[in-house]
Amino acid sequence: MIPGGSTRAVAGWLAATLVFLATGSPGDTELARGQYLTAAAGCVTCHTDTADGAPRFAGGRALVTPFGTFYTPNITPDRPTGIGTWTAPQFVQAVRSGVGPDGRHYYPAFPYPSYAGMTEEDALAIRNYLYSTPAVNRPNRSHELAWYVRTRLAAWGWQKLFFTPAVFVASPGQSVDWNRGAYLVRHLGHCGECHSPRNQFGAVRTDRELAGNPAGPDGKEIPSIRSDGDADVADWTTEELETFLDGGMLPDGDFVGAGMGEIISEETGRLTPADRRAIATYLKALPPMRQPMR
Amino acid sequence: MRRIVTFLSIALLVAAGTSKLARAETSPANAIKYRQAIMKAINGHFSAFFLINTGAVDQGPYLAAHVDALAALGAEIPALFPAGSGTGKTEALAKIWEEPARFAQAATAGKDATAKLQAAVKSGDKAEISAAAKSLGEACKGCHDRYRKEETKGR
Repeated sequence: MIPGGSTRAVAGWLAATLVFLATGSPGDTELARGQYLTAAAGCVTCHTDTADGAPRFAGGRALVTPFGTFYTPNITPDRPTGIGTWTAPQFVQAVRSGVGPDGRHYYPAFPYPSYAGMTEEDALAIRNYLYSTPAVNRPNRSHELAWYVRTRLAAWGWQKLFFTPAVFVASPGQSVDWNRGAYLVRHLGHCGECHSPRNQFGAVRTDRELAGNPAGPDGKEIPSIRSDGDADVADWTTEELETFLDGGMLPDGDFVGAGMGEIISEETGRLTPADRRAIATYLKALPPMRQPMR
Repeated sequence: MRRIVTFLSIALLVAAGTSKLARAETSPANAIKYRQAIMKAINGHFSAFFLINTGAVDQGPYLAAHVDALAALGAEIPALFPAGSGTGKTEALAKIWEEPARFAQAATAGKDATAKLQAAVKSGDKAEISAAAKSLGEACKGCHDRYRKEETKGR
């Protein structure tokens, strides 16, 4: 079992199982919770193709990285092409440990290093919600990667070098808002997967977390979201951050597009005002840092 | 009769000539400058609207004025993208001119959302105003997402 919070996880598991046994399906409240957490975890943006009318969660979006192009997989409950045959523990293992049901190690294009901090009950709620969505038969497309990462052995080695699973533990010295914000930013929302720089092996540089990324998805420059007393998030008030996360308006009245516009529509804009406030509280409290851009 | 026909023909030619001339006078560079000026003006009114709506400033009586300004300026949007204004100092993407029907649809969505915000402001219902503002923001964001090259701000 996972160290820390395991009692809660077991309790959550038991509760979910009991509801399942009683009704044959997860309850409405549990599904609503799963839907909320799925939005907070931003699953749909990567796991849906960019083509018009592409089925949600059925995968196929191209993620262009310095290591090649990854095509996201189908995570609908379809049995032949989706994740319909996965057991609950297999789902939790995939999401938090980056190991698939077949024992293969995932590439860190999938943000499991961030999701590792997710509580087991949250991961299970997400699974239950995904299983309530329509099954879409859409075969996965093979990744197109550089020769030296083409074997899954590379992913295995990468995990050995750069990945230690650890579930989120609240800091007792910090406020409830700060801790909730840390959980949402660092784990569920996996903001650092785009906003942090990576080393030459594609691992997020933990010493420069959220300080901006000169080589973000599709070669874009992703700004720092740590106050640095100069620009961007630095002079934003907590209210301005909340307004931005809710509807995408920057303090000068401009509206973001590009990747973040989608994240706001699908993820942060669907959170409760309390959760947006928690995110803003956490970001405002970070010590200043900015990664130089090209 | 012949005189009248001659006169009308000349008048028509002159009119066609001047209108062509007038159109030729707007250089792509000026079209881009004007477009950016209007967008900045829209930003200003949107920012002011949010400062009032969230209670950050106490300028309630001016809320409607800012929304009306958004409607007036937003109506100009389709005309802000003449052919040829996609190159130079602009973040406008070629897609705007490659799929004019879809672009026009996106502009209409913005216009409709602004009209709804105006109606909400008239009703005075705070929740309705906030919801309508969010929808309008969705329209702005959706258009920027598809048709604007995103530059990292602040560097």
